[in-house]
Amino acid sequence: MQSKTSFFNPTLFRKNLSRYWPLWGFASFVGFLLPAAALVQMVHQGDLHIAPLVVREGYYALLCDAVPIVSLGYAILCAMAVWNYLYNARSVGLMHTLPIRREGLFLTNLLSGLAMMLIPYAVAGGLSTILFACCGGFDAWGTLVTILGVIGESLAFFGIATFCAFLTGNIFVLPALYFLLNFLAPLGDWIVNLFARGFLFGFTSQYSGSVEFLCPVVYLCQNLYYHSEYARDSVTGRNTALSAVTLEGGWLIALYAAAGLLFLGLSYLLYRRRQSERAGDVVAVRAFRPIFRFGAAALCALLGGRLLYALLWESFQSGDGFAPVPMAIFLMVAGLIGYYGASMLLSKSLRVFRGSAVGALCLVVACAAFCAGMRFDLFGAERRIPEDSEIHQLELYAAGNTYYLSPEDNAQLLAEAKMLQETLIAQKSLIESNYETYRHGSTSSDPDTYTSIRYVYTLKNGATVERFYTVSFTRSDLQEPGNYAHALDAFINSAAMRQARLRWGDPDFKVEGGWFSAQYTGGFDLGTRECETLLSAIARDAGNGAWGRYDWFEDGETAYAMDLSFSFVRTLTDERGTRYESYDSISIAVRPEMAETKQALLDLGLVGEEDFITWAELKEDSITRAELKEEATPETAA
Amino acid sequence: MIQVRNLTKTFDGFAALQEASLTVPRGSVYGLVGPNGAGKSTLIRHLTGIYRPDSGEITIDGEPVWENASLKARVAVIPDDWYYFSSASIRDMMRFYRGFYPRFSMERWEKLRDIFRLDEKRLIRHLSKGMQKQAAFWLSLSAMPDCLILDEPVDGLDPVMRRQVWSLVMGDVSERGSTVLVSSHNLRELEDVCDHVGILDHGKVLLERSLAQLQDNMVKLQVVFPDGMTEVPAEIPVLHASRIGRIHTLILRMNADEATALLAQYQPLLVDAVPLTLEEIFIYELGGADYAVKDIVL
Repeated sequence: MQSKTSFFNPTLFRKNLSRYWPLWGFASFVGFLLPAAALVQMVHQGDLHIAPLVVREGYYALLCDAVPIVSLGYAILCAMAVWNYLYNARSVGLMHTLPIRREGLFLTNLLSGLAMMLIPYAVAGGLSTILFACCGGFDAWGTLVTILGVIGESLAFFGIATFCAFLTGNIFVLPALYFLLNFLAPLGDWIVNLFARGFLFGFTSQYSGSVEFLCPVVYLCQNLYYHSEYARDSVTGRNTALSAVTLEGGWLIALYAAAGLLFLGLSYLLYRRRQSERAGDVVAVRAFRPIFRFGAAALCALLGGRLLYALLWESFQSGDGFAPVPMAIFLMVAGLIGYYGASMLLSKSLRVFRGSAVGALCLVVACAAFCAGMRFDLFGAERRIPEDSEIHQLELYAAGNTYYLSPEDNAQLLAEAKMLQETLIAQKSLIESNYETYRHGSTSSDPDTYTSIRYVYTLKNGATVERFYTVSFTRSDLQEPGNYAHALDAFINSAAMRQARLRWGDPDFKVEGGWFSAQYTGGFDLGTRECETLLSAIARDAGNGAWGRYDWFEDGETAYAMDLSFSFVRTLTDERGTRYESYDSISIAVRPEMAETKQALLDLGLVGEEDFITWAELKEDSITRAELKEEATPETAA
Repeated sequence: MIQVRNLTKTFDGFAALQEASLTVPRGSVYGLVGPNGAGKSTLIRHLTGIYRPDSGEITIDGEPVWENASLKARVAVIPDDWYYFSSASIRDMMRFYRGFYPRFSMERWEKLRDIFRLDEKRLIRHLSKGMQKQAAFWLSLSAMPDCLILDEPVDGLDPVMRRQVWSLVMGDVSERGSTVLVSSHNLRELEDVCDHVGILDHGKVLLERSLAQLQDNMVKLQVVFPDGMTEVPAEIPVLHASRIGRIHTLILRMNADEATALLAQYQPLLVDAVPLTLEEIFIYELGGADYAVKDIVL
């Protein structure tokens, strides 16, 4: 019978469900397998009892890790089912001649699609709840939260899929557009970093993740999680049973569901304006046609241009960075291919060249401007050094060690580290030129070497700013005031940095153990007390100036033939409030001038006097022994 | 009554309809004719609420068509390429139509079963084109529409079923006062059923009149002029002239009396007025609109 309202038609609703029952029927069967598998496992284990919190943990695990991915894929299938009538002139003709308004069609199809999405979840969830309830594991709160979560995630992805359905008029374009829209933010991030790495000094990042929140599936998988707490046995100190399970980041589902609703609202507005005659068109909304044309051209330019550059230029260039002129040319070529390809798709004709000169010219100019902007760092990305007020922590890797500096605890060192970075940036051209010379083998008598410096600023807003510099220099560079090598050497070998390197007295780091081996007495694991004794001695040597100077050209020959290393542990708390441990280690080259350390090694009985032999002496000794052996057995040698 | 006023529709710069206007009186059967690409199907898609006009006005019984569900409940459409769900039988489609059209009559559905004699349970996609057309008529007529819009409606039907279908349509017109707009290239058939005709060309309605007026406005004369007069005098405004032996066949845009009076001054040996078929009217009207009919010999 005909509906009394013009907003919902039960006939159409039933027709949608009956037409596409294989889709939701198969999905429901897959959903049914979940409780079935759980039942089989319980029977197999002979334990038909399950605690409600274990059930809740299982529900939350699915909600966090499985539902976003399943919904991402399933939403587009449901959307293709209910909106496919828009893509065929005959079907759109039938539906739009029926005595029902556009909003009635929209709402009925929307509810049909959502029903198709939720039926499989309802089957899986309903059967699971019955099964677990029979086994004593009914958890009302967990079930309610999971139901709301599933509805929210389904709404989010179906909303995006519906929005895409109204942008296009072609059924084959719909899934492509949907996945592109879902992953556009990470893709854009990756592309930006791809070009930043090639053009900008100090950029090595592959992906920043700064706009990842625009990719619901990735963001939900990473930021929606559950937290389980266990009761601890007071005698053994071991975890016994689950005491609480909480869902963290659940507000994200609400946020994405709200975004899904917004997309649905936009879709309705697009439907009101949609022209039925657009059935079959790649882009059904007139306003989106230039966006599609130039968006496709831009994507094609950036990805295709980079590919052409790699194929036709990169192998033959001398430096690491992108050469702006060839890159601009490749961008233009790939961009024009994308531009005309998109134009052909839009007009469904190959005759798109006439009257397209202005658009093509704009594209060419944009490609040239992009390369020029990147080459000359138009946005100041290369020069960006965060202010102290922004910084939560700087993780600095230099001279083989990692330093953690914060404005509160290490203001002076942080300022010096930033000053060094400023020097590196200011001498960018010199650094690039020196490194090129180093890579191709310097002919100078002055030996050169290279090192890497990595800055990772963690800002108070959670973002990170990462830079990586590879620098090469000669011994004479180190002596030249104003040279970046001199600044690096002065910073790394300052008294404060030596102390920081040893982590002695650093409250954040706790020595966990160590390893020592000498030539004759063999190797030993070091206990905490032995480590502290040795670290104390090394710190005294450092204070006396006998340890800590980093020699950039050190070949290790003058150190004793010993291995001494310490491992540290640092307890940190992540953004989820979970405590975790970070490990770090340092290796100490024991040298003849480190009197305090030598004495401590002797006092601990780790070495004998015969172990104080340098690598150079040992090498010489080995050569001598080999020669003696050769003389003793000439026939063997022969 | 269907009224279209100054309807304009453009597709990517191409004007499919340009200020088209027509009026279909209530209870009439209106034949919409025109050459291929004239805009007939576009006009029909506007009348049925599929397309939204760029400008102009479309009303049925004084109400605008666009997004008017209550009006569309009284309008049934059979397009040339009728759509059905690929997995649907006739009965499935009947249930679907019944869910939308409040006046859908099961009683009539049952009555029409005897006429169409189709297996309701068969999938529509397994039926022939003609049988699919019958199914479309069965469904549309059972919806009890006040207004029936048909695009090439009997295309694919056998002659007997054509008669049957037209008989049903004409029955609705006479018994229920239904209004019918039919677009077709089969002018001989339209001539039998239409009482009004509109000619559409290049997106414009060239003319619309009752069939009687149309036939009265144009005349075909067979004339034999006196000896020595071999050519048609230049003063006579002929739309078309042909000659076989001494018999000239002239098409004039005027009624038979006026034409006979005009020719009387040349003292013809024979003047015989022959009524024009709709097909001839169509061809000669369009001939005036630069349609390529100059070489057509009737």
